Amino acid sequence: MTDDEAADAGGSTPADATDDEAADADGSTPTDATDDAAAGTDGSTPAAEADGGTAAVAAGEEIDYLEREVNLFRPSTPFMRDNLKMIFTLFGVWVVFVFGPVTASLFAEEFMTETTVLGGFPLNFFLTAIVAPLAALVLAAIYAWYRDRLDRKYGITHGSGEDAGETGAEGATADGGEPS
Amino acid sequence: MIDPASIPAAVGTVVAQVEYTNALDPGFKLVPALTVVAMLALFLGVGWFFRVAAVDDLWVAGRSIGPIENGMAIGANWMSAASYLGVAALVATLGYFGLAYVVGWTTGYFILLIFMAAQFRRFGKYTAPDFVGDRFYSDTARGIAAFTTLAIAFVYAIGQGSGMGLMAEYILGVSFEVGVIVFMSVTIGYVALSGMLGATKNMAIQYTILIVAFLLGMYAVGWSQGWSTVMPYLEFGPETALIVEELDRQFIEPFASGSYYAWVALAFSLIFGTCGLPHVLVRFYTVDNERTARWSTVWGLFFICLLYLGTATYAVFGSILYEDPVQDTETAVTAGEATSFMGMPGADADALVVLTVQLADLPEWLVGLVAAGGVAAALATTAGLFISASSAAAHDIYTNLYKEDATQREQVIVGRVTIVAIGLLVMVIAIDPPALIGELVGMAFAIAACVFFPVFFLGLWWENATQEGAIAGMLTGIVISFGAILNATIPGYTDAIPGDAISPTVATVLPPTSSALIGVPLAFVVIVAVSLVTSDPPEDIKRLVRQCHSPKPMKRSESAEDVAADGGTPADD
Repeated sequence: MTDDEAADAGGSTPADATDDEAADADGSTPTDATDDAAAGTDGSTPAAEADGGTAAVAAGEEIDYLEREVNLFRPSTPFMRDNLKMIFTLFGVWVVFVFGPVTASLFAEEFMTETTVLGGFPLNFFLTAIVAPLAALVLAAIYAWYRDRLDRKYGITHGSGEDAGETGAEGATADGGEPS
Repeated sequence: MIDPASIPAAVGTVVAQVEYTNALDPGFKLVPALTVVAMLALFLGVGWFFRVAAVDDLWVAGRSIGPIENGMAIGANWMSAASYLGVAALVATLGYFGLAYVVGWTTGYFILLIFMAAQFRRFGKYTAPDFVGDRFYSDTARGIAAFTTLAIAFVYAIGQGSGMGLMAEYILGVSFEVGVIVFMSVTIGYVALSGMLGATKNMAIQYTILIVAFLLGMYAVGWSQGWSTVMPYLEFGPETALIVEELDRQFIEPFASGSYYAWVALAFSLIFGTCGLPHVLVRFYTVDNERTARWSTVWGLFFICLLYLGTATYAVFGSILYEDPVQDTETAVTAGEATSFMGMPGADADALVVLTVQLADLPEWLVGLVAAGGVAAALATTAGLFISASSAAAHDIYTNLYKEDATQREQVIVGRVTIVAIGLLVMVIAIDPPALIGELVGMAFAIAACVFFPVFFLGLWWENATQEGAIAGMLTGIVISFGAILNATIPGYTDAIPGDAISPTVATVLPPTSSALIGVPLAFVVIVAVSLVTSDPPEDIKRLVRQCHSPKPMKRSESAEDVAADGGTPADD
């Protein structure tokens, strides 16, 4: 495929053509340099290059995520398996907190309304009005934190991906400036 | 009132029409009026300062917003008059059933986070119909999505107009109708002027105003009545017990106002509606990367919880004060028109948050500030809705379907015309709203859940979902959700059909605010079944879906399509 040839060229001239198109779509010419630099180093790889790609190696073999099927019930990469395991676990906990109190009220109405907590809240009221929203908040924070950990495990750095884009812009203009 | 489950049992006790209209103090008030004018001037000023001409800025704020700021924007965008005023009203009048609104409008963000937020950021386009149109490689799908976006914005905004009218009655002393017109006009002008960047900058301010106003009122009431000190969220246990023991036990009886099915159906609809709302989705397009998308969801939910946990507090405080006001005001209960606070009329219920502060006999400027917070809430959400509607019209319908080479100038003009048109239409309907604020907004959620959630979810998580499947699924969702709404609202506009609904049986199974418990699974089945019998999506679409899930970082301005079309990144070698 011609696409692969462009990619093989490693972000040198043949790739410029496609990147220029993308940059044009952005409507701003200065980013051409950014795109070239970032495409050449793939945004995430400055770190990988510096340490000889250990970050990627540590996560196992290099995976082309664009060639792996996406199916909620058939995760096709280790990353997706880890991610979905956590997603389904937290989802299960969430279901209990959200629909648990009302279901308990159906089967044990007396217990749920007669039991009081914190100075007078009936249990069903307390679990629904206060605990359920808080539980969702805590579960959300747990997931976001876990995803950050997962990113580290698979050698992904958004912060530096973003920075690489920006410093890459300066670097690229500097680099691009030298030969000309 | 159209939701059969929402008619409190005590409503039957309202007998003769005496002089009682509503408990909120009418008449022009100088300090509150100045507060609102200053607030609106601030919004317009900020909007003007960050005004935009470029499409990227108008619709996705240059993809430049960080997690806390975006979290606040999520909060302001989310918390409309329905949250600020409506939820406390529903909890007070419906008791435990009303808590389904609290649960439904908070916990859905978790589902949005684990299944969709980061993926949408990676998809990286402009609008919800963009996602549907590109993912399902179909202009028909895009058209249906754009139409649904407009319908959601319209229904949702009616509730906001209704809230604005109520607040204007209190602050400006004008009639409800004039209030709707005045505040809606300001909103229309403001959105048309400032666009997404201005609106996003303003949303952080609007969130601050609305949460400060809401909490100040709550703390002041709790403090002045000796009910709470530093943590009112957890301190109203004894007051809840007082309500249960002395005022109205129905308040906490689980199924006094609605069945178990109705509760679960409502919470389900609101939760999955959260995950299908175009103006919520767009908030993830405005951030700089997917990690920010995730953390801004967490922040957003935190900011939302600050208010939502307080709605139950307000409902309890307000209910006690409604039965026994500190201030010398006549309420429906003291006037003998209702046997308990649960039977308060709609206008009182929807104003309960402001009314609570007034009935506690707190100073007028504070009551005015709480009312101003309600205006900020309504305005921020309406702005977000109008922007999503205008982008659907200008970007998805005009540019993508009608005129491929439309200039930015044309798009901006079409967008603004849409805002004015939809704003005027909302004004007309909001003057005589067909339901309570919270219920109106609930209907918008049911549409979002039935039509959008299944295509968003399967579009992201099953690469073999096809265009035929998506179109069939969305049409199923439209029939169910719109059918349920029309079934329950049409009798209100015509005398030809007696009763509360065209078919009471349908209204019980498919309440207009809760049609998603049946609509969503049905749409899933339709999408999967049709996708299995139609030919697989093209390879580039599958790559697009995979790119949305890939953990590899992307550049800020890059969309999944750019990467997928590149034929793989250099890392492939």
